[in-house]
Amino acid sequence: MPSVQATSIKEQLRNREDGRKHDEFRKMSIKLGVVTQVKGSAYIEMGDTKVICSVHPPREIHNKVSFSPEGELFVEFKYALFATTDKRDAQLEKEEQNYSSIMKRALEPAVCRNEFPNFQIDIYVRVLDDNGSALAAAIIAASLALANASVPMKGIVTAVTAGIHDDLVLYDLTVEEEKLCSTKVSKENLDRGIIMQAMLSQYNQITEPFYSGNLDCDVLCDTMEALQKASENIHLLLQETLLKYVNKTLEQDRESKSVNKKLEAMDVNNTEKEPKK
Amino acid sequence: MSELVSLSLPEKTFILHGIDVNFRNDGRSRLDCRPIELQTKIMDQVNGSAKLKIDDTEILVGVKVEEDTPDENSPSEGKLEFFVDCSANANPIFEGKGGDELATEISDALSLAYKDVFDLTELCILPSKKCWKLYVDVLILACGGNLFDAVAAAVKAALYSTEIPQVKDAAVDGVEADIFVSDDIFNSVKLDVKNAPLLISLCKIGDNYVVDPTPEEEVCSSATVVVAVMPNGRTSGGLKTGYGSLMVETWRKAIQIAKKVGVQLNNEIMKALEEEEKLGPNRALFGFL
Amino acid sequence: MSYTEENGESKILVRLANNRIDHTLPVQQDPRTAFYTPGEEISTQPDFLRGHGTYMDTQQVLRASVAGNLERVNKLISVRPYKTRYQGEIGDVVIGRITEVQQKRWKVDTNAKLDSALLLSSVNLPGGELRRRSAEDEQAMRRYLQEGDVVCAEVQSIFADGSLSLHTRVLKYGKLSQGIMMKLSPSMIKRQKQHFHNLANGAVLILGNNGNVWIGASQSGQDSSQGGFTQDYSRIDQENREVCARLQNCIRCLVKSNILLSDTSVTYAYEESMKYEIKELIQDEVQFNVALLTHQRLVA
Repeated sequence: MPSVQATSIKEQLRNREDGRKHDEFRKMSIKLGVVTQVKGSAYIEMGDTKVICSVHPPREIHNKVSFSPEGELFVEFKYALFATTDKRDAQLEKEEQNYSSIMKRALEPAVCRNEFPNFQIDIYVRVLDDNGSALAAAIIAASLALANASVPMKGIVTAVTAGIHDDLVLYDLTVEEEKLCSTKVSKENLDRGIIMQAMLSQYNQITEPFYSGNLDCDVLCDTMEALQKASENIHLLLQETLLKYVNKTLEQDRESKSVNKKLEAMDVNNTEKEPKK
Repeated sequence: MSELVSLSLPEKTFILHGIDVNFRNDGRSRLDCRPIELQTKIMDQVNGSAKLKIDDTEILVGVKVEEDTPDENSPSEGKLEFFVDCSANANPIFEGKGGDELATEISDALSLAYKDVFDLTELCILPSKKCWKLYVDVLILACGGNLFDAVAAAVKAALYSTEIPQVKDAAVDGVEADIFVSDDIFNSVKLDVKNAPLLISLCKIGDNYVVDPTPEEEVCSSATVVVAVMPNGRTSGGLKTGYGSLMVETWRKAIQIAKKVGVQLNNEIMKALEEEEKLGPNRALFGFL
Repeated sequence: MSYTEENGESKILVRLANNRIDHTLPVQQDPRTAFYTPGEEISTQPDFLRGHGTYMDTQQVLRASVAGNLERVNKLISVRPYKTRYQGEIGDVVIGRITEVQQKRWKVDTNAKLDSALLLSSVNLPGGELRRRSAEDEQAMRRYLQEGDVVCAEVQSIFADGSLSLHTRVLKYGKLSQGIMMKLSPSMIKRQKQHFHNLANGAVLILGNNGNVWIGASQSGQDSSQGGFTQDYSRIDQENREVCARLQNCIRCLVKSNILLSDTSVTYAYEESMKYEIKELIQDEVQFNVALLTHQRLVA
């Protein structure tokens, strides 16, 4: 085994490439309603990771044998062809499938599925550019898109990715860091791994705890607790974004209404004038 | 997971209350497992195999070894691939594509558990040129609950029984690499499974966790935590199935239980496997009889 | 919810197939029962009546079409398959699960070839007395019985297509409340006059002719039989629960060793099992031992 030196990895991870602190997140920008053709959509940038998500309104489930009292979610997670650099096709496809089902599990607890029995909501996610933490970004985008589509939800789902290496815990990993954290090291029983934790922050509920690596159970749990706190901050941010969006739409609505009124008024004038002619 | 059985509300209540007072319908307490039956090397065409039975759950695993070229990213490692087949034998709803969702869920969980901790370097023959690829094929013959755990235990047993052909000689001839495998079939290397993890699923029913659930109990559960536990008590992966969500504290409890049960289960399985090995190659084969 | 209290070691048993327990009992073959396989010749004499599970070939030879025991009633010859879906007979007590609520009827899975029907007109509705079924009743059908509910009923008639029509017009039938349902093969149930058993240990045992067995936990066992659709969600006390669990495990023992289920065999097994803890009854050795002891008592 080319025993990768744990110390060198640690050194690389300690000095993050973009100069962030270990618990610092990348700049996050979000835009809602980016796709005009669908019911709800969201676009998110986390550093160089860019994800777009659209949500289609509930539709009846076809070819269903029996009545299902709860609505279902269908999630498709896909990388755009140019999003990744070095993953091969078959592997990528597997990962996409896996991530799709993780997303489904992460979002299901939040959606009030009892409100649309026998219906299905389609969620399509495209990763336009992957520079790490794409899954977390996708979950955030999907939950915002669901909110944007006015699908009833118990809360907004947030997601955080963290990497563990020895006693180092990094938030919001880049691709390079993801690789380093999952590199096998010669030293046995060295804690390392990646956690993607999706949460309903209002209720302190984990909707999907997905991790891999080689971890001590206590280290894992402690990290998850820390991630819970981090999620709360993201949750606030998401709330704010939604609020802003709603305000903006209301304003636009008001404007367009006043325009309409003016138009109507003009119409009235016209019709009044006509018979006089 | 698609529901395999349906229960009426009073039946669910009965199960739920039973678990509340730590007394399940078959008399077990929450952390009791059902007895497991195990046998390895039951098929001739593969390099390793195992059959595992827990009550009504029956799993058959075959491991095939083939030559392959290592990945560019990991030139000194062999490959390991899982494939799960939920046969329509087990349940008519698995017919056609019906079992695919469950099958991928299980195989994803297996790859997750193995990918970070299983030492693949011993499967390498010539770095960047030749390596062994293990195809682990899992066939679910019958489901009586607790598939994740049963499959992972069966996989571990099958890997334990896997014998990799001894490479006598390997030579690089220009770009092509050639290997010469020993002709003697008994001249083979046993696969090292000391790190191989098991999956422990904890079914959350009411406020409690239950291990080794029956199908009826699985229906009563809102969320199941699946934890990959290594023999030394560390964890190599985890996920949640079902529609529910969990508090961080509840999660911590799940991990603690999984760790305890996982270590214990692993010990028992290894003990049984070693015992079987002592019986020698002339032991009686039972197969499906 | 403390897990420290549960540190009591729970043992995990891993057994090798080589050490497997054989559950077959030392039974002497009854010479009177003849076992036939499909295509096997039964008789060349033309004066027999062809019953279920047989066919007449071109040479007028009567042959079996299923694997099973030969049954002869005067001139009628039929072969009863060993393992089969439930063949309904009028008057049988069956236990089934509601699979679908339709207009004026419920579909019930009774382990028969086709789903059985329970007509709205053949149940006792709350309120007791006989009355016309109104449109309101039709709309409220799901309130009385919904998908997944377990009912105990009697076979009233058999439709032309072979599916069964059930009724629950007698007080002892109706919706079942808390308890355990076991799905077994119909051939495991011994045909008897009485299928409702109030065992000495206080539990209610219903051995349905269709192979479904119900172990009822409600102490007020009469509740469920009031045609009543009221459900009892109260907590069952520990003693009662233990009886149910033990009964279930005992029935498993009997089934594994192919002992027919009747109130006697179940009671014997229950008594023989008393020297074991309930959770020990899921181990093969113990199961076989209980079955063996029961068998000895039954034969004696």
